[in-house]
Amino acid sequence: MTKSLSITLLSLLVASSACDGDDKPTLSSGDPGPSPLRRLTRVEYNNAIFQLFGDTTRPADAFVPEETALGYDNQAAALVVSPLLAEQFLDAAEKIAGRHGPAVLEGLGECKDAASITGECGAAAKEWVRSFGRDVFRRPLSDEEVDEWFMVFSDGTAMDDGFSALGGVTLAISGMLQSPHFLYRVEFGRGSPDADGIDELSPYEMASRLSFLFWNSPPDRILMDAADADQLRTPEQLAAQARRLLRAPRAREVVRNFHRQWLGLQKITTVLAGIGKDVDLYPDYQPSLLPLWQKEAEVFFESAIFDADASLDTLFTAPFTMVNKQLAEFYGLPAPSADADEFVKVELDPKRYSGFLTQAGLLALYAKPNRSSPVHRGKFVRERLLCQVPPPPPDVVPEPPEVDITKTTREQLEQHKVDPQCSGCHQLLDPVGLGFEHFDALGRWRDRENGLEIDASGEVLGVADIVGPFEGASELGALLADSQQVRDCVTTQWFRFAHGRAETDADDESLAQVREAFASSGYRIQELLTALTQTAAFRYRRAPGVWKGEEQ
Amino acid sequence: MNRIRHTRRDLLRYLGASALALPLLSRGRPTFANPEAPPKRIIFFYTPNGTVPVNFWPKGGELDFELSQILTPLAEHRDDLLVLGNVDMESAFNGPGDAHQKGTGQSLTATELLEGTFAGDAGESAGWAGGVSIDQKIAQAIGQETPFPSVELGMLVGKSDVGGRISYRGPGDPIPPENDPAAAYARLFGDPQASLGDLERQRRTRQRLLDQVSLDYRRLADRMEDQDREKLEIHVSSLASIQDRLQGAGVQFGGECKVLDLGAPLDPSRVEQLPAIGKLQMDLLAMAMACDLTRVGTLMWTHSAADYVYSFMGEELREGHHSLAHKGDEDTKMVEHNTRINTWYAEQLAYLISSLKAIPEGGGTLFDSCVLVWVNEQAKGNNHDRRQMPYVLAGSAGGYFNTGRYVVQPKTATHNQLFVSLQNAMGIDDDQFGNPVYNSGELPGLRA
Repeated sequence: MTKSLSITLLSLLVASSACDGDDKPTLSSGDPGPSPLRRLTRVEYNNAIFQLFGDTTRPADAFVPEETALGYDNQAAALVVSPLLAEQFLDAAEKIAGRHGPAVLEGLGECKDAASITGECGAAAKEWVRSFGRDVFRRPLSDEEVDEWFMVFSDGTAMDDGFSALGGVTLAISGMLQSPHFLYRVEFGRGSPDADGIDELSPYEMASRLSFLFWNSPPDRILMDAADADQLRTPEQLAAQARRLLRAPRAREVVRNFHRQWLGLQKITTVLAGIGKDVDLYPDYQPSLLPLWQKEAEVFFESAIFDADASLDTLFTAPFTMVNKQLAEFYGLPAPSADADEFVKVELDPKRYSGFLTQAGLLALYAKPNRSSPVHRGKFVRERLLCQVPPPPPDVVPEPPEVDITKTTREQLEQHKVDPQCSGCHQLLDPVGLGFEHFDALGRWRDRENGLEIDASGEVLGVADIVGPFEGASELGALLADSQQVRDCVTTQWFRFAHGRAETDADDESLAQVREAFASSGYRIQELLTALTQTAAFRYRRAPGVWKGEEQ
Repeated sequence: MNRIRHTRRDLLRYLGASALALPLLSRGRPTFANPEAPPKRIIFFYTPNGTVPVNFWPKGGELDFELSQILTPLAEHRDDLLVLGNVDMESAFNGPGDAHQKGTGQSLTATELLEGTFAGDAGESAGWAGGVSIDQKIAQAIGQETPFPSVELGMLVGKSDVGGRISYRGPGDPIPPENDPAAAYARLFGDPQASLGDLERQRRTRQRLLDQVSLDYRRLADRMEDQDREKLEIHVSSLASIQDRLQGAGVQFGGECKVLDLGAPLDPSRVEQLPAIGKLQMDLLAMAMACDLTRVGTLMWTHSAADYVYSFMGEELREGHHSLAHKGDEDTKMVEHNTRINTWYAEQLAYLISSLKAIPEGGGTLFDSCVLVWVNEQAKGNNHDRRQMPYVLAGSAGGYFNTGRYVVQPKTATHNQLFVSLQNAMGIDDDQFGNPVYNSGELPGLRA
């Protein structure tokens, strides 16, 4: 039914544009893929409230956590609004309006001491609605919208006995903060689609795409000014803004946020905190290590990507990490800094260590309370680093054997090779994970296990450009760093995070373009991020009712 | 490279096309035989990771059964129980998802999950549940009688995907539980500090606000297509549920409807607080029923495959619940620990029953009108069996069920049938629930 409607509309539009002549710029754009309506995440909501009011209370922390899909909390398809969340939006909006209404009113001198909405106060209130509304909705309001929100303001002044300007301000604020134009990133495009039904984004929509991608925040003044001047249109303009945004501290938090979700780092302080480690076997384990492990990884990525403009290779193979005093003690390293809390770069033995792959937090997360877990480590590499989906296990899994302390973990996994029910999948997982066998359940280097010699040899099967056996995590790190499949996977992961959706066949061209730019930069992450803004997927959208391509 | 393919149809299904039809959906209105009788209430009680079957199933026959180790805390309420043998979660062997996703996502829906991108174990993936859950079907039929059609409370529900939701208004339309007793209190009973005047003012401003905001959503939805439009319409229906409530009178304290004391604030994310959180949430739900704020409740204890360490039960419990559930039957120590956890959950159910029995109503107690339904996501943790589910009912739903029995189905039955029995008990005249491929008609032999 939708389809027949869109065909009708399309033929109308094609006909009318033919009459207009053809001075319209040809987009020659390629298919942007779907652009689903995105709801603000809790992080984005908090950042928006900070930007609007300087409010640092993080009101969205009380909201229902985002539904996660593909490992990310910002996936449009998964985020729905239940009655509970709608009430939390209501509650937060009222509280925020209550907190900041008085200060807003201070700036609205004509209304502060007014006795009615008529006259000066009315005109001033209308102007306030226009400018505040623009900040909240991240675009200028239409005159009709201004009138409507002014009516809300006006009704708000009359909620109590007599006139209350504060009532107007608070009602308008709490209403706007629940509007779809605030809570969602609404896009309609410029309204001048090409013959294929592909439209450019409006300048304000582009400002939001840029700022939410690089800052998880609404656009700043500079972006809004650029949107006013229609200077967010050419690839060069977008790249220049991307580089500017990447230079700001707020971009660092976004990069941390991405890695937290891509690699599951946040699970170190959530999931792992609930499981812990067997303190009889690992007396050094303390829950206070967990936030440090997570921070080590985050600071490592942040520092490498921003301070060293690192390439993918560095992330996978760096012979250094970032530790504070307690972590240095845990790793058996000399105290790195006079300030016990400061995270400082420390050099590591490159024969043992390999970038983030050998940091304790991830290796402890993908381990059992009482032993390493080559299966989970291998699965992590397959799913998150190679973007592969291992085939499912049988529905009814045979009971696993108990830990046998007279054998190495490797020996205990032999059953996976023998049992034909297991071997199919486990030959993909175990030999990869076994490369990490020098790292115990705490993710710390060990020379021996249960007094036995460790064999950390492994093998990567089923990856086109990684062939054959390797020895230990550092060789695995080098293989992964050099793999096109890993590079493509990292591109894909960033694409999912950036666009809030899974890639589709329609995105082949956009993805290829990012990969190419990534390659020609020598696989520098900052260039990958900039390249994300250059694609059809980022710059265009399918015009509702006009798009005539394949249904996606 | 593996690629996740989405067709538009998938996305539609993912999001749940039929959620839109919600307000019209109340198929089969409730019929109250006796207008004088107290209203019926139903509470679902979800626990994860399966039970320990050898320590769960009673010994003996239908009437002379002897409660097992796990069920012993319920001894005081033996005459109010229906222990249900030979009922399978048959649907949960079908459709997308791993064993836990299917077990939890279908625990109250009895139909296949949608396709989707929630990563399951070893490469399985799934979307949200593919149909309305039994609590919500009942809420859609009887919920308009109360300020809250249903109340969903959680205890450390730490997953925000199909493993962390049991209630669905329709396919792809999950309802998250409230994990924080203080927030649940504020939502149900309002701000205890607020004066009547404050509340009245709040009601007026909220009505004005929501009129404007709903209009905004409806207008925007009209300009959108497909899944974007549906998403906004789900939002509108969520706003509508708040608006409906504002029309009503709100909570009227008095009689058995009393102000609860929440005590000192607690951190709802700490597993060592689980006993305290659970007690508060059960108290809140019981009081919400005493105040007739709702007649349908769910209590979700943790989430699918939750691996919290229950060391509050004893320092020797060092393995997470899910890990314990995976231990082999020969590991007697771990089986004992897992048995203790399941026994502890039976204690919680017993506490809830006692709480409801402590609230007088009519000539008896509030519990007389209730049926409580203990569901799990698995039957047994270490093999992910979802047959012979450890279902327990407590309460007769106003004399509808003949309790005090251990009823083993002579012919293997399914949880679709259990839910048909429950919806019939709650006044919905419909002999199907979930996907009827997995049986229809009620569970024989439960009625009084």
